[in-house]
Formats: sequence, C-alpha cells, structure tokens
Amino acid sequence: MSPEVEVKNLSKVFGKRKVLDDISFELERGGFLSLFGPNGAGKTTLIKIISTLIAPSSGEVRLSGMDPTKNSAAIRAKIGLISHSPLLYLDLSAEENLHFYGAMYGVENVDARIDELLDQVELGHRRYDLVRTFSKGMTQRLAIARALLHKPSVLFLDEPHTGLDPHAVDILESLIDSIRKNHTFIMITHNIDRGISLCSKAMILYNGQIVFYQDKNELDIDKFKSIYHQRVRGDS
Amino acid sequence: MSGGRQIGAIVKKDIIAELRTKEMVVSMFLFVLLIMVAFHYGFGTTTDFSPFAGGLIWIAFLFTSLLGLNRSFVHEKDEGCLEGLLLSPVDRPNIFFGKMIGNFIFLTIVEIIAVPLYLVMLNLSIRGSVPMFILAIVLSNIGICVVGTLLSTISINTKMRDMLLPLIYLPISSPILICAVTSTNGIMGGVTGEKFAPVISAMKILAAYDIMFLLVAYALYDFVIGE
Repeated sequence: MSPEVEVKNLSKVFGKRKVLDDISFELERGGFLSLFGPNGAGKTTLIKIISTLIAPSSGEVRLSGMDPTKNSAAIRAKIGLISHSPLLYLDLSAEENLHFYGAMYGVENVDARIDELLDQVELGHRRYDLVRTFSKGMTQRLAIARALLHKPSVLFLDEPHTGLDPHAVDILESLIDSIRKNHTFIMITHNIDRGISLCSKAMILYNGQIVFYQDKNELDIDKFKSIYHQRVRGDS
Repeated sequence: MSGGRQIGAIVKKDIIAELRTKEMVVSMFLFVLLIMVAFHYGFGTTTDFSPFAGGLIWIAFLFTSLLGLNRSFVHEKDEGCLEGLLLSPVDRPNIFFGKMIGNFIFLTIVEIIAVPLYLVMLNLSIRGSVPMFILAIVLSNIGICVVGTLLSTISINTKMRDMLLPLIYLPISSPILICAVTSTNGIMGGVTGEKFAPVISAMKILAAYDIMFLLVAYALYDFVIGE
C-alpha cells in the first residue's frame, strides 16, 4: 500500500535562508505524525508545502500518490487544517461561515452536514450568532467544524490546543478519537505528553532538519526527551 | 465543482459582511461627498463646471475606489481567512472574479448615489444619451475593479500596503482615467457627429483594456495570490 503522505528530499529556501533542508519521511494511511520543534524550525512551512500553499524549492511531495504541482485542487479537497488561527470570517455567523466553506469545497447536503458538525462541537444554539461574538474556545470549536466540513482524509493540526479551554480540548480530542481510524494526521505541538500519546510516529525538526524520527512502537522516549530538551529548550 | 457557485459564494459573503459593517460603502460615499463639497466651494458656486465635468467625476471616483480596494482583502487577511480560502480546492481565478465582482458592486452602489448628487451640487446635466453615459461608467468601473483587485492582491501581503496600492494602481489605471474622462465629457456635453468619434474610440479602448486585464488576471492570479 502506498503511503498517504510521502516527502522526499524536500528543501525550501526563502531568500538566502534555508528553512527546510533535505526532509524525507512517509506516513501511512491512518497514521498520526506528531511534529515537534522550536519556533522557526520549519514545521509550519512543511505543512504549508504538503498542503500546496507554497511550493518547495526542491524535492518531492506526494499526497495519496498525487503530485501537488499537477493535482493541487484534488489534494486540497482531501485536506483539512486546524490551526491556532480559526480561518473564519468574524462578521459572518457560524452557519454562514460553514455555508461559505461548503460552497468552496462543493459539499453535498451541506445543511445536514452543518447540523451534524454544529451538534458535535456543541454550537448548534449559536449557529446564527456572529463569530465576532464568540469566545476563543467557541471560535476554535467552530474552526474544528470548518476543517471537518468536507470530510478530509488528511488533517493538519497546527498547535490546535493553543488558547483552548479544557472543554474545547475535550471536544477536539473526542473528535480526533472518533475519526482516528479513517484519517491521517500531522500535528504540530509543543506538548510532549499529548503529542506522544496521540502519535504513531514522532519527529523533531530543528533548523529545517529532522533530528529525530521514530515509530511510536520503537520510540526511545529518553532519547526523544534528551534531543527535545537540547534542541527545543536549549538545555545543555 | 462549480466555479459559478464558488464565485457566487465569495460575492455573497462580501455583501453580507459589508451589510453588517458598512465600513466600505459608507467610507467611500463620505469621501466622494467630501470631494463634491470641496469642488463646489473651492471653485466658487457660480463656476460653469460643464467643460470639465467628466474630469471632476472621475478624479472623485478613482480616489474613492482606492478606499474600497484597499479594504477589499482586509477581511480575508483577518484571522487567516485568505489561507482558509487558498486551502480550499477553489481555482485561484475564481477568487479573483468573486472579489472583483464584489468591488464592482460596492463602487457602483456609491456611484448610483453620488452621480445624481454631483449633477445637482455642481449644476451639471447629461445632455447626451443617458444609456451611453451609464455604459461609459460601467466600462470604467470594470477596468478600475479588475486592475484594482489584481493590484490589491499584490499589496495585501506587503507591510506598506496602504501606500503601495496607490503607487502602483494610479499609473496603471491612467488609461482608464483618460478614456473615462473623454467619454463622459463628450456624453455630458451632448456632442454629436464627428465630435462623437473620440467618445466612441475612448469607450472601445476602455472595453479593450477591460478584456486585456481580465485575461491578464485570469492567467496570472495563481502566481499573484500564491507565495
């Protein structure tokens, strides 16, 4: 079976700065990659390249066997992103935001799908309210609904727990649990316990290079923590 | 996936947001009203404005359009919405057409209110064909919104976007300004016969300019809105 996400010798240069340097990894369908690293390590750039938002300087990326340079729209239809930015319009209601993204993704039976998702994120009672009036946790719960609206097969989670209250964290994690079997995840996080407990593979990026990459069932947690503390926290 | 549905959704979303905030149309209208008042009192209440009526109208509308164009991508940048839009499988030119149609609607609404006020405040009249006058305005608006939407997309990712847009937009839109002034001046002055030929030529150039920049935007928008 071909991997769901395949990255080969990927590099990205912004001006004179090499943000990603010869990155290679594979993630099987249903896999969960937890991606750790300090700010500026290239984690978000890596996700942006895989999700076709920016082009690599060199190397190859395949998602479901498709090349982003030739099948970018088909790839984007298969991915969802939950990040610390909600990607929602503040002057539209929750329902209007989901209708808008439903039209962008060509979601069929969009009304039923919106009802289902708003119930899951416990925002059915606020569906007609402007996002501007939502708390941070509610906005992030709606962002989760937006990301899942088109039933993506690959989900990118870019520090999804940032700013969430415990209730919103519970909702996010129960949603992840409920779709875990059928989806592939790549999650950027600084929370070691949460990242390790969810993942099937763990990776540490540092200065655009992979300094640690292991399957969870082979994971040497002491080595992981040692590298993490050295590179991410700067401990000697 | 229907491109028309995507374009329609972008236009609808912009209109709903504008109906709620009213920040674009109201600021554009107040600006155009201020220019009218400045012309009215600046040139004296007895001045005959008819020889340069087209120039006055288009100076006001061109600068007014800048206010709207500068705002048109601000909602998209808020909370990373542009990234959300780019992550969806929408063809990039559909984003352009959606935003361009929204800008066209807002500018046209302001003009529908401003033109009659202009005629009254500056004691002007349309001596020629009103449908031709409307056609000249529509062709000019299309040009303004096509060029403006394309350039505001470029400027939105820069730190000095409020300053950059006028710097690149005004020189590139100068052919629109020249043709719009020529055509509306001729129509408002009621010229006929041989004197009407420059009006027709100006409108043909406007139409050609609109088509040319629509094609340029269609071909380049993927690159423009990308990295």
